[in-house]
Amino acid sequence: MKALIDSHANKYLLAAALLIALLAPQIITSPSIMQIMILTLFFAYLTSSWNLVGGFAGVLPMGHSAFVGIGAYTSTILYLHYGLSPWFGMLAGGVLAAVVGIIIGIPTLKLRGAYFALATIAFGEGIRVLVENLDMIGPFKVNGPRGLLISLAGNSFKDYQFTSKESYYYIILALLLVVLAMTWVLMRSKIGYYLSAGGEDPEAAAALGINVPRYKVMAMAISCFFTALAGTFYAQMFLYFYPKSILGLDMSFEIAFIALIGGRGTIVGPLLGALLLRPLNEFTRIYLGGILPGMHLVIFGLILILVMIFQPRGIQEPLTRLYRRILYRIHGS
Amino acid sequence: MKIVKTMLIPVVALTMIAGSFGVAQAATKTVKIGNIIPLSGPSASVGIQGKNAREMAVQEINDAGGIKSMGGAKLEMLYADSKSDPTAGVSAAEQMINSDKVALLTGCWNSAVTYPTTQVAERYGVPFVVPVSVRDTITERGFKYTFRVAAKDSWWTRDQFAFLKDMAKETGTKIKTVAFVYENGDWGTGFAAGWKKLAKAAGYKVVLDEPYPSTASDLTPVVLKIKRAKPDVLFLTSNASDAILLTNTIANMKVHVKAIIGSGGGHADPAFLTAVGKNAEGIFDIGEWETDLNKPGVDEANAKYNKLYGYNLSGEAVDAYSSMYLIKAALETAGSTDPVKLRQALADTKLCSGPGSIFAYKCIDFDKDGQNKQAALVVVQIHNDNGTMKRFTVWPKEGRHAGYTPTFPMAQ
Amino acid sequence: MEIYIESLLNGLLMGSIYGLTAVGLTVIFGVLKVINFAHGSILMVGMFVAYWCVTLTGMNPYLAIPIVVPLMFYFGYFMQQIVIEPVFKAEKDVREPITVIIVTTGVWYILDNLALMFFGAEYRVAHTSVTGKLFELPGGIYLLQPKVYGFVITFACALFLFWFLKNTVMGKAIRATSLDRDAASLMGVNQYRIYRTAFGIGTAACGLAGCVLIPFYYVYPSVGLVFDIRAFIIVVLGGLGSIPGAIIGGIIIGVIEEVGAMFMPSTWTELVIYGLFLLLLFVKPAGLFGSKQDF
Repeated sequence: MKALIDSHANKYLLAAALLIALLAPQIITSPSIMQIMILTLFFAYLTSSWNLVGGFAGVLPMGHSAFVGIGAYTSTILYLHYGLSPWFGMLAGGVLAAVVGIIIGIPTLKLRGAYFALATIAFGEGIRVLVENLDMIGPFKVNGPRGLLISLAGNSFKDYQFTSKESYYYIILALLLVVLAMTWVLMRSKIGYYLSAGGEDPEAAAALGINVPRYKVMAMAISCFFTALAGTFYAQMFLYFYPKSILGLDMSFEIAFIALIGGRGTIVGPLLGALLLRPLNEFTRIYLGGILPGMHLVIFGLILILVMIFQPRGIQEPLTRLYRRILYRIHGS
Repeated sequence: MKIVKTMLIPVVALTMIAGSFGVAQAATKTVKIGNIIPLSGPSASVGIQGKNAREMAVQEINDAGGIKSMGGAKLEMLYADSKSDPTAGVSAAEQMINSDKVALLTGCWNSAVTYPTTQVAERYGVPFVVPVSVRDTITERGFKYTFRVAAKDSWWTRDQFAFLKDMAKETGTKIKTVAFVYENGDWGTGFAAGWKKLAKAAGYKVVLDEPYPSTASDLTPVVLKIKRAKPDVLFLTSNASDAILLTNTIANMKVHVKAIIGSGGGHADPAFLTAVGKNAEGIFDIGEWETDLNKPGVDEANAKYNKLYGYNLSGEAVDAYSSMYLIKAALETAGSTDPVKLRQALADTKLCSGPGSIFAYKCIDFDKDGQNKQAALVVVQIHNDNGTMKRFTVWPKEGRHAGYTPTFPMAQ
Repeated sequence: MEIYIESLLNGLLMGSIYGLTAVGLTVIFGVLKVINFAHGSILMVGMFVAYWCVTLTGMNPYLAIPIVVPLMFYFGYFMQQIVIEPVFKAEKDVREPITVIIVTTGVWYILDNLALMFFGAEYRVAHTSVTGKLFELPGGIYLLQPKVYGFVITFACALFLFWFLKNTVMGKAIRATSLDRDAASLMGVNQYRIYRTAFGIGTAACGLAGCVLIPFYYVYPSVGLVFDIRAFIIVVLGGLGSIPGAIIGGIIIGVIEEVGAMFMPSTWTELVIYGLFLLLLFVKPAGLFGSKQDF
């Protein structure tokens, strides 16, 4: 009965939410709010991609910016060098990131908690240092610490460049829907069950003959593929990136924090985390950044601590409860 | 099907956001200037100096009656913290142009931030004044709305080598070998590329070409390599922390060279001299400006700044200070905040005299790329003057500090 | 040849000081089983406390140790009690409470930016009686006195902690908790008190490192970033929770940095360190001195 109520209401809510998400750019015309919304979706997308391995495989990757970087650099280099449209370069970057993810995943995913986190930090930082110290990789110019600039091409679908914010908004929304659908499918598949079993109790899962590491590596590959697509999106959105901005620890940490604050291992967690943290980040920076240097980051830190003390499972938990309660109240009346 | 619950939030969030921005701006007679500078993070120190200089200039302009051609309109300053992060800079630029409706933008000190933010301004057609950001390409992209007051990095390296040549000639010193030591960032690698070309042209032998990570915790290995290479002249491009470490380690390890030539940045940071004290004796540094500059208004401005904030003006601060006066002059000419008129006014303005013209060169005067073509540099030597370390201008020779004889080669 | 000896000696000295900056992290991890992301910030606080102590009174930086270390101990003790403990209690049944990582990150943001608000962004250098003083060895080799003292203090600190953990009741309780917190609880050890004490010892070690660094280093609000990732690598290299491991790990890193830089650009030594670290994780995740059960 409960499940029935849930699924009905969920359908309506899902439809309403989609409609709002689709119509939002038509209502909101301010480009700067659009920018904040795009960045929010961007991080929701990134964190959902991270969640495929960070949420369901019971490990904490803290170096995911390496894959964002692989995506951005691959598509941009192919575009600058061969004039290949970033739409194809994006897929190339995704495949490359997945391969790297597998190579790094096979040995590291055996490690537990803190060790895995530190290994990924070292990997992410290693990639950053590598790119910063190379002017060329083979025949391709990566430009070391100076980064790559994509010249303005006006409004051109082929070049993955648009003058309106709307187009970027819809692209990232579509990407987000794809990764959410992927998550939903994965959660309900054999892989998903094995992963959650392995995440909760690796010994027991192994005793049942489930090859947990193999499924973890699979999840890692899928996660890295999607993460790299975000790198291309970032590159085309800002038309400029450099190692510290896209390969630094800042982005890796931010992705992981959004997941943890929202609630990792749930579909809605990354979305809620991004919806809370990104606008908060932007608004505290805009309204407090100029008044007292550092003030906005103090507030940000306080919020992190408070959420963790009162909601260690992330903010999805109380919100889900609240939603259920409202639902039964309506239904019961 | 948890996916659905999420969607409640954006609805609420969006209505809240939309509501908060829907408030109509009351029309007062102010001109809004958006400033995107690093106020936290690694470059916060220099960002805050720039903010102080801007504040002082705007206070003076407003006290003197604001923009007269616009009925005494006052300048209103808005600041955004870039955190030295291009993404934050771009978001701030979008926000300031679209929501705050600023008449123009200034910033961003970090070339990596200035680079994409000027592109945003160009896209929207909003004038962008860059007081300091040295990367060459900022004014080499054919942009109409970007104006840079400071020199670009190829001019800095050019003048460092010109200074070396002149100094060697003046003192009859033979220079054969040079060493390049620079921070491994955008700025340092840009300088190093210029140095390599210039060294080749001048016939110097490069005995060490050493980038180091700007977050290095210890620079002893770099100093030992300098010791091993035994160069005649050492060129440095360092931020504040590494300039402090390098200078102290070079002095401690008793490394002797004929000249050390810094590239501003960390060597020009007010904290540098207090931090290293006597270890900085004899170091040359290139910059845009110096406190001993012989020009009307310089001493007064510096004394006022020092009284307000507790340290002297730096080249970066002066650029920021003068940029405000440049903006004032352009607004006076344009008589409105219409971006096209204001852009034209900026392109036509020549600021050569009067308050705000405390820079070391003759005028602020833009070429067709928006680069201040008069921007020139001075070289100073750090010298112990009765117990306090001071910077004395030594080059170009006509600007040399009266009565000061540079020590070249450096005292052993 | 002298230049290589000089770089090796410098690597030893600097490496041992790196080890000292990582001791706090390893103690905290050994007991609480969490990565303390605020470690760099706590080190920054330790450096600032030492800096003000030395600058305001003009005392010898090493005489400031008895003031700075207890101050930092209580700072850590209460921080654990007020900020981190609630999360631990909420996550009772989780072996490695991930949420604690976020809390420590929040602490990192808060501490760094409070320092920025109060002290400003400028770099400060303390001019102490030992600053810039040298020991001269034959062959034109110079060693910085503060680094040599730092080397000595690091080993004294390690020996003291070793003795403390082996021979005192509190030390034994800490060891028991780090081996098996549930068993220790059953034996009547109050685990939350142990956590507070361990966190206090960790921050006190940062205070000690602050006193050692101040005579030859600069301090500013983000100075922690210079040391923290390196400290993470050091503690894993030496084996999480192992004090001698932290010192040896620090020395390995220091020697690679200093000697390696003689044969390649110094930017590449970082890469060598990351590569070595990853390799070690694949081959021997327990590190050089770690216990087998943690990874």
